Order: sequence, then C-alpha cells, then structure tokens
Amino acid sequence: MDTSSPSSPSSSIDSNHNPPSSPSSSSFSSICLSSNHYLSSGRSTSAMRTRRGLSTDLSLCLSTSSSHQSQRRSSWPPLKPLLKSATVGRSAEEEWQHGSASGLFVKVYMEGIPIGRKLDLLSHGGYDDLALTLAHMFKTTILCGKRNKAPSDKYYVLTYQDREGDWMMVGDVPWEIFTSTVKRLKITRADRC
Amino acid sequence: MNYFPDEVIEHVFDYVTSHQDRNSISLVCKSWYRIERLSRQRVFIGNCYSISPDKVIERFPAIRSLSLKGKPHFADFNLVPYDWGGHVYPWIVAMAKSKVNLEELRLKRMVVSDESLELISSSFANFTSLVLVSCEGFTTNGLKAVAANCSLLRELDLQENEVEDHRSQWLNHFPESSTSLVTLNFSCLKGEINLAALERLVARSPNLKTLRVNRAVTLDSLQKILSWAPQLMDLGVGSFIHDPDSETFYKLKNTIVQCKSIKSLSGFLEVAPYCLPAIYPVCSNLTSLNLSYALGIPASELIKLIRHCKRLQRLWILDCIGDKGLEVVASNCKDLQELRVFPSDPFGAGNTVVTEEGLVAISFGCKKLNSLLYFCHQMTNTALITVANNCPNFVRFRLCILDPTKADPLTQQPLDEGFGAIVQSCKGLKRLSLSGLLTDKVFLYIGMYAEQLEMLSVAFAGNSDKGMIYVLNGCKKLRKLEVRDSPFGDAALLADPGKYETMRSLWMSSCEVTLGACKALARKMPMLNVEIIDDSELTVDEALCGGAPVAVTADGDDKQKVEKMYLYRTLAGPRNDAPEFVCTL
Repeated sequence: MDTSSPSSPSSSIDSNHNPPSSPSSSSFSSICLSSNHYLSSGRSTSAMRTRRGLSTDLSLCLSTSSSHQSQRRSSWPPLKPLLKSATVGRSAEEEWQHGSASGLFVKVYMEGIPIGRKLDLLSHGGYDDLALTLAHMFKTTILCGKRNKAPSDKYYVLTYQDREGDWMMVGDVPWEIFTSTVKRLKITRADRC
Repeated sequence: MNYFPDEVIEHVFDYVTSHQDRNSISLVCKSWYRIERLSRQRVFIGNCYSISPDKVIERFPAIRSLSLKGKPHFADFNLVPYDWGGHVYPWIVAMAKSKVNLEELRLKRMVVSDESLELISSSFANFTSLVLVSCEGFTTNGLKAVAANCSLLRELDLQENEVEDHRSQWLNHFPESSTSLVTLNFSCLKGEINLAALERLVARSPNLKTLRVNRAVTLDSLQKILSWAPQLMDLGVGSFIHDPDSETFYKLKNTIVQCKSIKSLSGFLEVAPYCLPAIYPVCSNLTSLNLSYALGIPASELIKLIRHCKRLQRLWILDCIGDKGLEVVASNCKDLQELRVFPSDPFGAGNTVVTEEGLVAISFGCKKLNSLLYFCHQMTNTALITVANNCPNFVRFRLCILDPTKADPLTQQPLDEGFGAIVQSCKGLKRLSLSGLLTDKVFLYIGMYAEQLEMLSVAFAGNSDKGMIYVLNGCKKLRKLEVRDSPFGDAALLADPGKYETMRSLWMSSCEVTLGACKALARKMPMLNVEIIDDSELTVDEALCGGAPVAVTADGDDKQKVEKMYLYRTLAGPRNDAPEFVCTL
C-alpha cells in the first residue's frame, strides 16, 4: 500500500497532517470518521484558506476533495471546453465525453455515521476497484457481491439504491448496468442483512 | 402623443428596436406600456430564472423571437456542476401551450433536450431560426427533428455546443423541398456527415450565406460544396488537408477564386500549413478570420497569411503567431477592431510565445481596437499604460495571464497601475477581466473610473473586503460580477444588499463568504435567489436529518465557508428544478 503517489506533489504535506494510522490514497483526503476529527479538519480547512496561488491550492490535497481538485485543474486557464480539447488534446476530450469533468459522483454512507463521502464511480474499473477504494475510505473490509465469508462483526456489505429507490446488493449486475442505475451507496454490517 | 391613435404610436415604436430602448418606453405611461407590450416581437431574457415563461408570454403575447441565457458564465470553465439547471423545455412547453407564433429561438448556456427540439419542430409552423451557443443536452436525433419538420428553416446555427452523436444522418432529413437555408453552422458536431446529402442541400439553397462545417467534411467535399455556393459570405472550413499537387487541390484553388463574397473565414479544425495558400485569393476581402482551432501552423505561415488580409476587423488566433507575428498584424491590419489571442499550449511551462510586447505593438498599429481577449505568460504595468494611451476605445478588455497571480516581471509590482490606466483611459469600457498580481488598489481604480462597466471578472485578486466594496459602490452600471479565489467575505457581500437588485447576478466561488452571511442576505432581499452550490465530497445522511433535502446547510454551521454562491434577482421565486446540490436560501 503506497502512501504517496507520483502524481501528487502534496505527499509531504499530507503526511504531516494525517492521523498516523491511516495510509492516504492520493486522490482522497483522509479524514477520520469520528465527528470530532471531522470538525477539526473542517475548521483547519477554513483557517487555511487564506489567499494563495493556484499551485499551492493544487498541492493542498487535504483541504480539497478530489472533485474540487479535478475541477480546479480543469477550470484554469479559463478556456471553453471545445477550444481546450482542441489544444490540449485527447485526454481532455475524453474527460469531457464522460459527461462532466467531475465524473459520476455518488454519495456513500457507512451505517451509523452521519457524515458520508462522495466518490467518482467512473474513475473505477469495476467492483474490485470500488471495494478497494471503499476499504481505504472507511478503514474496513467491504464485501461486494462475494459472499464466501461467513457474516460476522468484522465485515460490512455494500448496498446501493437504484433509480427506482430500491436497495440492492452491489455486485449482482454487470458493472456498466450498475453505474447507469446507481444513485447512492450504503455500507451496512453483514450480520444485519 | 396622447392625440395619436394607438396604431400610429405603435408604428413609431416599430422604429425602436433595441431591448433597452423598448424597456424604457414601456415605463413612460400606462398606455405606452400597453401598446409596447402588445407589439413587442423580440424579447431578451438575460437569466432564464429571473422570470417564469408564463409571465413573459402574458406580457408579450405577440412574441416571435426569444433569446434566453441560462448558466452563469463561469460554467464555461467547469465551475458549475453538470446538472445545475438552465433547462429550456419549460419555455417551449409554455409557448406551445399558448400558441405563441415562435419564429426565432436564441439560447446561450442552456440545457436543450432532444425532446425540446422535437417539440419546437412540431409546435411552431413558422419557425425559421435556431441559434444555440454553448448549450448541451441534445443529440443528433434532435437535429433530425428540426431538419425534417421545420419547413421554413432559414437559420440553424450551432456554436460550441456539446452534442452527442447518435449517427442520426440528420442532414439527410432536410426534405428536398427545403430550399430556404441562409445559415447552416454545424462546426461543433463531432460525428460523421453524409457528404453527398450536404452537397445536395447546398446545391438547392440559393440563399445560403453562412456555411460552417465540421471536421468530417473533407477538402474535396468542400471543393464541391463551394462550386455550388459561390455566393457564400461566411465560410467555416472543416478538414483542410490534402496533397497540394493533386487535381482536387488545383480545383479547390480555382473554386475559391470564384467565391468573391467571402468576408469571414473560420474553422480549419484540421489543417496542413502547405494548404493555406489556397485561401490567399479571398484574404483581401476578409473582415473576419478565426484560426483559433488551427493547430500546427507555424508563425511564418500565419504571418504570410496575415500580410494578405489588409481589411481584417476581427482576428482570432493562437499565440504561436508570436510577438513578431503580432507586429505584422499591427502593421497590416489597420482596421482591426477585435483581437483574440488564445494559448496553444495552456499548460506549457512558460514557452513564452506572446508577451506584453505583442500587445503593445498591436496598440500602436491598430487604433480602432475596441475588443480584446489576450492570453499571455506575462504583462507589465508599462505595457498596459501604453496600451491604455494608444487605444482609448476599448469596450471589452480581457486579459488572462496564465499564471494568475504573476507580478510585473520588470518591477515585481502588482498590475494595479496598469489596469488603473485602462479604466481611466477607456471611458466606454463595458467589460473587464483582470489577471496577474492585484491588490485592493485596482478595485479602487475600477470603482472610481469604470463608469460604464457592466461586467467584471475577477480571479485570484485583491487583499480584503474593501476591494469588492469599492466596485459595488463605484460601478453604477454594473450588471454582472463574477469572482473566484479571492479574499472577499461577508463584509463585502453584505455591504450593499440593495445593489444586487440593480444587477443581473453575482457569482462568488472559493472566496471567504460564510453560510451565515448568505442566509442573512437571502432573508433581507426576498427578490434575490441566493443559491449555494455544494458539490463537494462531504454530505450528511438525509435519513438522519428527517429526510429533508440536504446540502451544506444541514449542519447549520453559519461560520462555514461557502464554496460556491450564485445570486440573481428574480420575479419567479426559488426555482423548482434545482438539483439536490443546489440550495436556495
């Protein structure tokens, strides 16, 4: 498990501010799930937002979410998307073709914790990828459609609410169909299902 | 005027065409209001959420031409989430229901569904003109409906829209009886086009004056099209690559010579430098040239081309033309009024192709310049002061230094004095975009001198609330203010709440404004919609909050900073189509 990513120049700043026990994935701020920690990191976020240049902004990974980061990157310089994609090339155009530069964001809650997270489903290749990200985010193992372990306290299962409002187990349908119908995710204890 | 019958007054009003003038005459007295509203045919709504469609139709039952704008300007730069709003469908439904005789629809930054296009094509028998600028939400299926059903269509103008290609062969759906086209612009479409269908369409459209094609239209197809339409005045080229020694290329050169009416050239979505000489014959008549998509043309070729264009009034070009190239523009294009220089390498590490020198050269040579959009890597106060002295006629001045907080490289000073000179000298300045290192002082100057300023764009500028307060107090004609990443907070926001009713809108993102202040403003000013847009990562479980729609307001912490706020005056109240990440306070 790597604690720094080559694409993120902020790893040194991150490691100063993270709680020591949590490895950080480069694209998500590692905020602890207890409400105290949330409030404190929220406050420090506000306090740190003094006037600063864009480059410092991009390196302060911990104070901005990935949706903000990618938005900040794609919001400067102020060029219209068609012009930008013509000059910057394929990668920007592909990013746009997904519908928005921010991807497909869904909310995910862990049972019992009022503060949820948001993640970009389109930046994941499939269920395994998603499970890995969630495991990092919520510091626990998520069962995702594979029920070969006996349900116990240690495991959580992932469910999703689809367009019709029904809650289903994640992993039952092909990934493409899942991403087209999912509205939000919930992590519940395995023994409750 | 009271002694004249209504028809006479109405006839006089026919000569009053500008929206602002017609708005003014409607305020004179009740009978003028009535006559004006019953005879008004063209209506412009700058913010689609400022009023409901029904109210517009009620007031202007004779409406034939509607212009609507939706999303805030910063949506162009990815700052507004994808489904924020700006839907045109309710407007179409309302007009169809009221049997409005709609002929023209002009939309900017709106969400246009295929359903909307289909409804337009089936509801308005006299529909002639569809202009969509920076819109999204539709596919080529919607275009199919418009082509097939709008039998009187004269104008289909698609500018920089995001259109999904469903391989609909939409061009084929213009019936054989369709011969009325005057303007056809599909340059922003990404997909393939039936070239034969396009050629036939052009051949049977004798009134065609503007044709802008997309990348799928090859050079040899272009040659055939031009041979059918020598009367064209405005041509947008798609792909301009071919073997220059070929028969096709030879034919193209001859065909272009016949096109003596071409005054505007654009497109070149794909172009090889050695093909450019084919257009030299039309250059001497050109008043408008847009090469902002033409990557890969070296400065030397651009310069050769420019030397032929002595009558240019509008030039949009990439910065690879360089400062030297801009000097050639300055010495050749004496009639130049509008210049836009775009970055060819926006993320490049200071490969300085245009600097302040190019702009200074332009200001010495092009005295008629009144509109500028200039992307560069650096700017100096001296340069800006020189430009201000040389060109007092600027109406639009937009500067974008790619490193947004860069100081004057000669003096390490902020660019306050330079922009101060611009606003002081250009007494007719209506639109200004700032960049570079800037303190509160520049806003003091703007407040003092920019008396005609209507739109101001601010990014990474200022030191304190005072900056924004100077602008709000000083610029009496301000209509739109958009600010990002600047340290303006609650004191600025609340300094003059009444001001916002005199403006169309205010955008503030990544500033120091708190939720509490936004709430206070919303409470005080019921005629404003104060929207908080929260598409950040952290949200609160709706179930735990009793199922109420949730956004950043849920935890009620008034001291929380608001990431994005958009407020606008409105007669329609909070909008009912706001997505869950938008909260109207």
